[in-house]
Amino acid sequence: MSRLKLTAAAAAVAAIVAAVGLLPAHAQSFPTKPVTLIVPWPAGGSSDLALRAFAEAAQKHLGQQIIIENKAGASGTLGPAQMAATAKPDGYTLAQMPITVFRLPYMTKTTFDPTKDFTYVAGLTGYTFGVVVQSKSPWKTFKELVDYAKANPGKVKYGTPGTGTSLHIGMEQIAKEAGVKWTQVPFKGAAETNAALLGGHVDAVADSTGWRALVESGDFRLLVTWGADRTKNWPNVPTLKELGINLVANSPYGIAGPKGIDPKVVKVLHDAFAKAVQEPVYLESLRKFDQELAYLNTADYEKHAVEQIADAKKLIADLGLKKD
Amino acid sequence: MDLIGNLAVGFGVALQPINLLYCFLGVFIGTLVGVLPGIGPVAAMSLLLPVTFTATPEAGIIMLAGIYYGSMYGGSTTAILVNIPGEAASVVTTLDGHQMAKQGRAGPALGIAAIGSFIAGTLAIVGLMLVAPTLARFAVKFGPAEYFSLMVLGLSILTYLSHGSLLKAMIMACFGLVLGLIGLDSISAVARLTFDRMELVDGVGLVPIVMGLFGIAEILVNIEQKLTRQTVAERITGLLPTRQDWADSAAPLARGSVLGFLLGILPGGGAVISSFLSYAVEKRVSKTPERFGKGAIEGVAGPEAANNAAAGSGFIPLLTLGIPPNVVMALLLGAFIVHNVQPGPLLMVQNPGLFWGIVASMYIGNLMLLVLNLPLIGLWVQVLRVPYRILFPLILLFCIIGVFSVSNSIFDIYVMVVFGVLGYLMRKFGYEPAPLVLAFVLGPMMENNLRKSLIISDGSFWIFLERPISLVCLVLAVVLLASALLPMWRARRERIALESAN
Repeated sequence: MSRLKLTAAAAAVAAIVAAVGLLPAHAQSFPTKPVTLIVPWPAGGSSDLALRAFAEAAQKHLGQQIIIENKAGASGTLGPAQMAATAKPDGYTLAQMPITVFRLPYMTKTTFDPTKDFTYVAGLTGYTFGVVVQSKSPWKTFKELVDYAKANPGKVKYGTPGTGTSLHIGMEQIAKEAGVKWTQVPFKGAAETNAALLGGHVDAVADSTGWRALVESGDFRLLVTWGADRTKNWPNVPTLKELGINLVANSPYGIAGPKGIDPKVVKVLHDAFAKAVQEPVYLESLRKFDQELAYLNTADYEKHAVEQIADAKKLIADLGLKKD
Repeated sequence: MDLIGNLAVGFGVALQPINLLYCFLGVFIGTLVGVLPGIGPVAAMSLLLPVTFTATPEAGIIMLAGIYYGSMYGGSTTAILVNIPGEAASVVTTLDGHQMAKQGRAGPALGIAAIGSFIAGTLAIVGLMLVAPTLARFAVKFGPAEYFSLMVLGLSILTYLSHGSLLKAMIMACFGLVLGLIGLDSISAVARLTFDRMELVDGVGLVPIVMGLFGIAEILVNIEQKLTRQTVAERITGLLPTRQDWADSAAPLARGSVLGFLLGILPGGGAVISSFLSYAVEKRVSKTPERFGKGAIEGVAGPEAANNAAAGSGFIPLLTLGIPPNVVMALLLGAFIVHNVQPGPLLMVQNPGLFWGIVASMYIGNLMLLVLNLPLIGLWVQVLRVPYRILFPLILLFCIIGVFSVSNSIFDIYVMVVFGVLGYLMRKFGYEPAPLVLAFVLGPMMENNLRKSLIISDGSFWIFLERPISLVCLVLAVVLLASALLPMWRARRERIALESAN
């Protein structure tokens, strides 16, 4: 065979391959290539590591590799926003949906609308939140702290990982319900809130389990957790509900893609994810990072998203965080 | 003694062949990461974190820690050779380090940076070992009020950073402050100066700015000049610091180590701030401050010691309280948890092998770095002989990869290019980039802590004077400012007096 013929043959093969690639993908054959999962947090953080474990568990059931792409920024909304703006709705690009996706559009101008720019696939899990004080502080129970705040309006200063976070919003909801006034001091993450409480610069801290080491060492006292049930790691600590405060907060998150994904493709993804959340490797990583499984199927997750969006809108307005 | 027993346990862990190997891998990768402009330890560590999953916790943490302090060694190399800081903490090293290289003294500059790093790194580990728990408990006394005053002290350094016009330095600092405002304001979460761009909601990154102002601008400035290169290469004299260099550097090394060690413990940018502060201190105590900015070896020795000591002491709050003082340490915290180890007050008790193993591995790692880096000096100096047409595309490539690797964002590359052009114009008109970087780093922290202090004090400004640490910082800032500005005013008054007499 002459070199020319060889080249021609190669070109023909390439053309066929290209043509096949251009054919519309059928839902039945989905997925035929690796799926990208956008993680809107820096690599190495607890959300990232938990999602990597999830990807590992899910790819077994999906039959394709799941590639994690870290796209951090804008309080975890930059990744979903870019996906909504640029990704094809073919099911091959998905993103984690942190709760800020529902909240940020009411605080500042965003390029996406959570009510219509996403195809929600499944809910996965939520965080464990709790309020801690120094062990040497006089407050032995959450009620004592609330009572003190009632007697001294505005005097209790509590640290949070940031304004507009679930912790800030939750503490203000508690204040409203209990009829007290306390003052938020926003920090940047658990490192700062822990240092501020250790140094006595704030009276209490509301945070996800970044306080764990200091609670275990006896420096901090955990007064209350915010989940629906008591936590596995701290079974002696009551929930807000038990204390008569009607609030459950765990900032649940799930997986979504850009709007307009074929329902058949969504079902394939959902079925794989539903099995993945029961895999030991995933459950183990949730235990490590104190996240509690909060699986929701596609229909429930869509409903949940609508509720979250309505809640966020109301809360932001109530707290005066609304954009101008 | 207990300490010796513990250390013996630690070395027992660190000297296991597999841990030695991981330690070497860590410091080797760290050196590379430090040398390559833009590619920082954070990117390298997060990429390599999954690799450590299969290793033992000791090996994994030892390697990741090695990458961090290794990168502090390497960061000075490009700062000295081509005026591009490998790390944000090496920005100050460009001021005198590159001037030394231009005078043919790249060897001594690299030498003092490497040996200074070794000395400071080792001192920091000794400190870590002896006073870790006590010091960490002291560090948490720094609340928002103390931080604010510390930042005021930090900004007063500006007057020492400029060797040209103070007015121009101030203009750059103001520009840096404004840049720092971009994004969601950290107290009330209101978007500022974002122009409705999602990419700006978190503000502009430090790495793209530094790489643009230094890296890209340096390339642009140099393409204009054709002949200077040859002269630089031919004037290289001596690869190691001379006796005189040692005499000049001894005190700066000691001061830089102490300063870096103390600031490194505090949450928030210890390594960067300590290197700037050390430079200011050296210029202040020097009998010949006019040599600074023109190739004074003290201006390399002090800051390099400071940023390495800070890298070492940054482990203290992480290991003893579970509080990571910077992004790198936060990554390490993640790594610990992946390996089912919770850093905190109980780490030393529950997991002495791991704690002391890490400490011991840092001694070994520092020694490895010295052995690795000293022979490399001769090689690095040869970089100066590489023709621009080969060197520049390479630098550009590394800058782009480095900036992109921080958050996989094309937008950051645009930011770098814009700041590259800006940096070029700044050089042309005699504006220096260092004050901009300092203000950019300090400004947002200062505002954040000011507002937090006022929330805590219910609006009273007395909080800054009532607290002893805060008061000391403010007094020091006033003294520094006065001692810098008074001679200037006096000189001006004399000049005016002279002119009017004439």
